[in-house]
Amino acid sequence: MRAYLHFARCSFQRRAAYRLANWTGIAVNFFFFLIHAQVLVAFFGTRTLAAGWRPEDAVLYFAGSEALLMVLAGFPDWENNVGARIRSGQVASDLARPVDLFYRDLAERFGNAFYYLLARTTVLYAGALALYGIAPPLRPELLLLPLSLVLAIAVSGAIWYIAFSVSFWTENATGPVSAVIWVHTVLGGVVVPLDFYPDALRWVCDALPFRAALYTPVALLTGKLSGSALAFGLAHQAVWLALLVAGARVIEARGLRRLVVHGG
Amino acid sequence: MAAPLPDDLRLYVRLAGARIREQMNYRLSFAVHTVIDAFLIVSDLAPVYLLSRYFGALEGWTFAELALLYGMVGLSWGLVETTLRGFQKFGPFLVDGELDRVLLRPRGVLLQMATAQIEARKVGRILQAGLVLGIAFVFLDLGPASVAWVALGVAGGILFFAGILLLGAASQFWTMGQTAELQNMLTYGGSAALLYPVSIYSTWFRRVLTYGIPLAFVNYFPALAALGRTAEAGWPPWIPALSPFACGAVLALGMLAFRRGLRRYESTGS
Repeated sequence: MRAYLHFARCSFQRRAAYRLANWTGIAVNFFFFLIHAQVLVAFFGTRTLAAGWRPEDAVLYFAGSEALLMVLAGFPDWENNVGARIRSGQVASDLARPVDLFYRDLAERFGNAFYYLLARTTVLYAGALALYGIAPPLRPELLLLPLSLVLAIAVSGAIWYIAFSVSFWTENATGPVSAVIWVHTVLGGVVVPLDFYPDALRWVCDALPFRAALYTPVALLTGKLSGSALAFGLAHQAVWLALLVAGARVIEARGLRRLVVHGG
Repeated sequence: MAAPLPDDLRLYVRLAGARIREQMNYRLSFAVHTVIDAFLIVSDLAPVYLLSRYFGALEGWTFAELALLYGMVGLSWGLVETTLRGFQKFGPFLVDGELDRVLLRPRGVLLQMATAQIEARKVGRILQAGLVLGIAFVFLDLGPASVAWVALGVAGGILFFAGILLLGAASQFWTMGQTAELQNMLTYGGSAALLYPVSIYSTWFRRVLTYGIPLAFVNYFPALAALGRTAEAGWPPWIPALSPFACGAVLALGMLAFRRGLRRYESTGS
């Protein structure tokens, strides 16, 4: 356990070394927040309520989604991942250590997430709410937010780990990984909250894991999940986390059996 | 770094051809990537469709008209992303000292960087955006004059996005690669913003997109002209014709900034 904590800390420090990069990242997230929020508000037009949402909820939702996008790894880490390790041959020295590949990867995701939570989420969320003059929706359900966030970080970590594991079989995982990115963007609620989807598509989203990585915690933060919907959201996250971890383990075990490291 | 001479153009075609052949070596991988990329862009249009489906028209813009906007920006950004990707991945060139090697060769830096990375598989995206544009033309029953306006917008978009890539790459001379994400804001973020008419945004944001960063000239104004709505939207009729000039100014600025940055470049000295 101490080794994994150490990996998480190193990952945190690696991110913290690039201050300016964090500020440009904030600018990018903020730009996307402005677009997504204004588009959904414009679609509301003269309506004050749609799918149980007020226009302010749209602003709050995208303030949350863009503020948490890096915490929840809405995009994978292209530089440091299992696929890059396999390609560079670094995986050989990783395997020589008494540390598990998958859990070490997950530990690094948590280190990143913690950094972004401190350095990006706070600034972005406060800035977005201040710009629109909206108060944060404080409700008792928010006590469950940390749990939902931890589950979501682990789910997204597992999803990207599995996607990059394609590298065990083919050298380049770029194609499959970008496919997962786009599926996650649409079915995870990055651009449109799932509440505005047609029923059939909603069912697909509820069945697949992607909403567990973004929509559930963000909707919870926005105050759009309560009662049975909240219970379903958290259970969905927990069940999918268990399935994804099991899946990642199986894929890793199979991949390692056929892995050949070249060079010396 | 003079204007591209015919000789440079020939060299560009040769280098680009070599890059494409290199990627064609892995035929299956190439085919799979192209198909995935062509389908993936559907996810750009999917939110537009889903929101139009739920709410109906957006301030008088139907889904077909929004698809026209998407086709224009998708085509111009797709063409730039495919052919000038070297500038998008400029950070490592600076940080790892790769640029030294580029500077040693007796050819322009712009030409060499333009061919440093060409992703042939992105052709799928270009085809897909072109297809959406074609379908939108048929649905909206647009005449040849409208097609000319759309072509003008796409040409402007190419100049604009090329300029943004150059500006983004140039900024990294000063920040050693830490501002790589800034260009994403105006390329990916800009394309996301242009999925919808610029008129839907709040006043200050709209002003920034019109007079500050001339994104509105990439598809909004030319599309207004193509749909015959320039006057209705409250703009003088000559505004859409400014598209190549407004966007060309961004490219000129980008080239100037890149040249400035290159002059202050000191190798990492590895």
